[in-house]
Amino acid sequence: MPKEKLVIVGAGMASGRLLEHLFEAEPDRFEVTVFNAEPRGCYNRIMLSPVLSGEKSWSEIVTHDDAWYAAKGVTCRFGEKVVAIDRARKTVSGERGEVPYDRLVIATGSSPFIIPVPGRDLPGVVSYRDLDDTNAMIEACKPGARAVVIGGGLLGLEAAAGLRLRGMEVTVLHLSGHLMERQIDASAGYLLKQDLERRGIDVRLKASTAEILGEGRVEGVRLIDDTEIPADLVVMAVGIRPSTALAAAATLEVGRGILVDAQMRSATDPEVFALGECVEFEGAVFGLVAPLYDQAKVLAKTLLGEDDTFVLRELSTKLKVTGCDLFSAGDFAEGEGREDVVFRDPARGVYKRLVIEGDRLIGAVMYGDTADGGWFHGLIKDRADVSEMRETLIFGPAFQGGEPLDPTAAVAALQPEAEICGCNGVCKGSIVEAIGAGATDLGAVRAKTKASASCGTCTGLVEQILAVTMGGDYAAPKAQPVCGCTDITHEDLRRLIKAQELKSQPAVWQELGWRTPNGCHVCRPAVNYYLLADWPLDYTDDPQSRFVNERNHANIQKDGSYSVMPRMWGGITTPDELRAIADAADRYGVPTVKVTGGQRIDLLGVKKEDLPAIWGDLNAAGMVSGHGYTKGLRTVKTCVGTDWCRFGTQDSTGLGIRLEKMLWGSWTPHKVKLGVSGCPRNCAEATCKDVGIICVDSGFEIGVSGAAGMDVKEVERLAKVATEDEVVEWVVAFVQLYREHAKYLDRPYKWTAKVGMDWVRETLADAATRADLNHRFAISQSVYQRDPWAERTEEQQKRRYLPLADLTLEAAE
Amino acid sequence: MAGVIAQTDPTFVEVAEVWVPEEGRLVLAGGSYGALDAFAETSRGTSFGRGEGLPGKAWAEARPVVLKGFDGSYFRRTEAAKAAGLTSAVAVPVFAGSAFKAVLVVLCGDGPERIGAIEVWEERDGVLHLDDGYYGAARHFEWVSQHTQFPKGQGLVGGVWAARTPILMRDLGSGYRFVRAESAGKAGLTTGLGLPVPAPGGKTYVLTLLSALGTPIARRFEIWDARAARVGAAREAILIDGICAREGALWDDEDERRTTAWKGVVGRVLGSGVPAVETNEQAAHGYSSVVALPIHQGGELSHVVAWYC
Repeated sequence: MPKEKLVIVGAGMASGRLLEHLFEAEPDRFEVTVFNAEPRGCYNRIMLSPVLSGEKSWSEIVTHDDAWYAAKGVTCRFGEKVVAIDRARKTVSGERGEVPYDRLVIATGSSPFIIPVPGRDLPGVVSYRDLDDTNAMIEACKPGARAVVIGGGLLGLEAAAGLRLRGMEVTVLHLSGHLMERQIDASAGYLLKQDLERRGIDVRLKASTAEILGEGRVEGVRLIDDTEIPADLVVMAVGIRPSTALAAAATLEVGRGILVDAQMRSATDPEVFALGECVEFEGAVFGLVAPLYDQAKVLAKTLLGEDDTFVLRELSTKLKVTGCDLFSAGDFAEGEGREDVVFRDPARGVYKRLVIEGDRLIGAVMYGDTADGGWFHGLIKDRADVSEMRETLIFGPAFQGGEPLDPTAAVAALQPEAEICGCNGVCKGSIVEAIGAGATDLGAVRAKTKASASCGTCTGLVEQILAVTMGGDYAAPKAQPVCGCTDITHEDLRRLIKAQELKSQPAVWQELGWRTPNGCHVCRPAVNYYLLADWPLDYTDDPQSRFVNERNHANIQKDGSYSVMPRMWGGITTPDELRAIADAADRYGVPTVKVTGGQRIDLLGVKKEDLPAIWGDLNAAGMVSGHGYTKGLRTVKTCVGTDWCRFGTQDSTGLGIRLEKMLWGSWTPHKVKLGVSGCPRNCAEATCKDVGIICVDSGFEIGVSGAAGMDVKEVERLAKVATEDEVVEWVVAFVQLYREHAKYLDRPYKWTAKVGMDWVRETLADAATRADLNHRFAISQSVYQRDPWAERTEEQQKRRYLPLADLTLEAAE
Repeated sequence: MAGVIAQTDPTFVEVAEVWVPEEGRLVLAGGSYGALDAFAETSRGTSFGRGEGLPGKAWAEARPVVLKGFDGSYFRRTEAAKAAGLTSAVAVPVFAGSAFKAVLVVLCGDGPERIGAIEVWEERDGVLHLDDGYYGAARHFEWVSQHTQFPKGQGLVGGVWAARTPILMRDLGSGYRFVRAESAGKAGLTTGLGLPVPAPGGKTYVLTLLSALGTPIARRFEIWDARAARVGAAREAILIDGICAREGALWDDEDERRTTAWKGVVGRVLGSGVPAVETNEQAAHGYSSVVALPIHQGGELSHVVAWYC
């Protein structure tokens, strides 16, 4: 019986595996011809990155060499592209001639996606798919040469690590907020980024490429924020697309890939099959090797006339970068009815997260300790009932009676030089030394080192260091943690964020051993505030970690409408402003217009969708948001002062305006209200404000920490100064001290009660300290003193305020 | 394949020996001496106090030590070494945290045909500098190395430092851009094994063995990962990389090779935490000698590297 003529287009890994199965089952059944555009046979493509790095040689990753194909009698037409398939005549035409087939397998794989930016065709811009790309990259590696890798997915990061090992200076640009976002979550992404940065790789997140620069050859990359990064080599690793042009030209039905059934038969022609990355099956396309091997096995059976069915299965991911231990499997998106189990070991850089739905494990992400990855993957694939071992599941199969999480791990991980007591400049090492020298309780440590002897916010940390250093000999008193996600108090959290230089939310979750993947509604606003207050230049404010009023930049009212209140500097307005407010109230049907206690005008009952428009109108009249909804500066209430009042001693209105213009836009732990009264008669009620200034003939009395809400309290005297400039300097220093030290949601009077007014006075009495605080406040204001109304009247931002069922939205891709 | 070596070639390292502490002195626990019986005999009759001789110096200074030329040095077996034609030695102390476990000493001969390199790199000012190295006749490569520094993540040396794991590199000189590739290629160096040498006090050292075709340091290299984070609580190790003149590539991304404590030479190192040198029938995979060196990091035995001649 004559052999069946089998033609395979493509000699990738799936094709190689198919041939192995066929020859193993019936070595003489087929007369096989294999076309391959690459001038070589099958090699282990997923091992290209170790070849790039120099950790493997090309010869090691060849899986089917010429001798293998020859021994199996395969006609190899390598280095020859297929130009056409004639399904009517059942022939395949290569560049060097035609071959007839009885059965045809299309295994054309995928092609890299090239982002459509100017300069993408310049020499020096390469993709990363095959040996030729790999060799091109290796050729570009010269000492001191710079590479930019666009795409922080699996392939991009492997390329980056390989190029770095080859001696290049490497920058990775990634569009998303964390690396490998399709395979891992933000916490694992944070650890991965740290790991890569430790290798000297520069990782830039939320980096969108605008243009590849160069004349005649690549010279750099420009981002949309106009940052330019020099480059001798640009590697595009942003994704792949099934190669379907040949199939489409042969009028086979093609979606994202070539459509096949569960036997890998094309949807169009029963004698034509497709295999590998060029395939689309039940809406899915493929990029990892495991399902390709499954397909090869099924197709071999199909070609041999046996029954088998390809099924989609859960995949796991590993990154082939030596020393990076990363594992993920299944679905780890947050969702209704899903429960997370999180384990973190900050000292070892370990993060593990399991996602459970019902009684099943549906996802697992791990970094730093992947020993149990295979076991978890098995549980996911088998849809095993894990209800019995739910409590101990995270400890893996070898669990022998797991230890509870250690709340002192974060402190134990601190370096000896980490500063614990900022007031007295005491580092961890000095405290440990003191404990070693016999200081075995808080009082003794305080006496010996002065740690926690001033403002006292580091007391908890000192106690933890005592606990860590002394082990069982020390029992720390119980303190109130931030929330159920952690055992750390607010004060310790603030101190650790500074000491460990934690500059992102994932950094806080990981390094401080948070028990949840991303915090909760209680801790997120606090952490978001602490990060933006301590690292204004490094951290980007996260609106999702804010209360609804701050997110929408308006106060939601009991009927679901919002209030809009423009700022009136020092309570001063103009006829034009009043007209604009009146016009806006008319135009948007505002039912209530109210003069507030803070000397401003509030428009109540504005519909959410009208917010951007009304803001735009008020902006146009020169007004900005009054921040009537923020944990930040609200108002500066003033009296008319020397301009009009017979009793006025100073220009209280002018000073109030000056202070308001200085402080507006700054985020604080809780709202901050100021008052400036022109004389001790105190018409501006300055003596019950967070900061109240009473003008007197000889200068200005600055009081702080008053209250007139649930608690009523007179201000405490902070200082008396002679000039307006000094008032501004002291007030800014006080506000910044409050911003840097207070617990989130503590008004200044609560904070000073905790740290003591004496400490506040002593700290601010030092001119250099005041200058530093003013400097840091100015840096923060350079980022945060922006009018949220102006930003949100832009087209893109406006959409956030439209009703959800808006049909004018463009269809998502 | 590149890096594969015919077994008839002479080897770069002539002697490998393991010294372990016993009652405050270093005594010989095992060695591979080839035909150098007299030197073996002298060694068996010798012990070193802390700071004495080459092994004692590596112990006392808690760092790898390279010694080129024995005459007039602190080397204690100079006469016997001279008689055996040995001219240089490298001593690598093995510490588990602050606990001293053993010293591995390798000794090399001289001669124009001997190409290879054993190097010790030390971190200074945030980059790795060559502390010292023995290069045989690869003089130009020695000069290049002396004038090269590695930042974290770059090259074999910087890669080992950043990844905290042993790394085996192939084809050092043949077209690929190993950082010192051009010179390595001219010297005939093909395969490089780099490994971290943890020392008390956290000082960073990286040891490299660079092997040439003509006088290979080894014909088979293996790197075993024994970290609990990779293998779990059991005392096991996974072969994560390796090449062999007989078997070719030793890694398999679909089917990992595992070994357990006390099974074979690698298993014994895994169990004891101390290096091992075996010869003749005790060495595995058809080779006449094997050196297996443990690396202790982060409070556990993290890796075992083994090389066979």
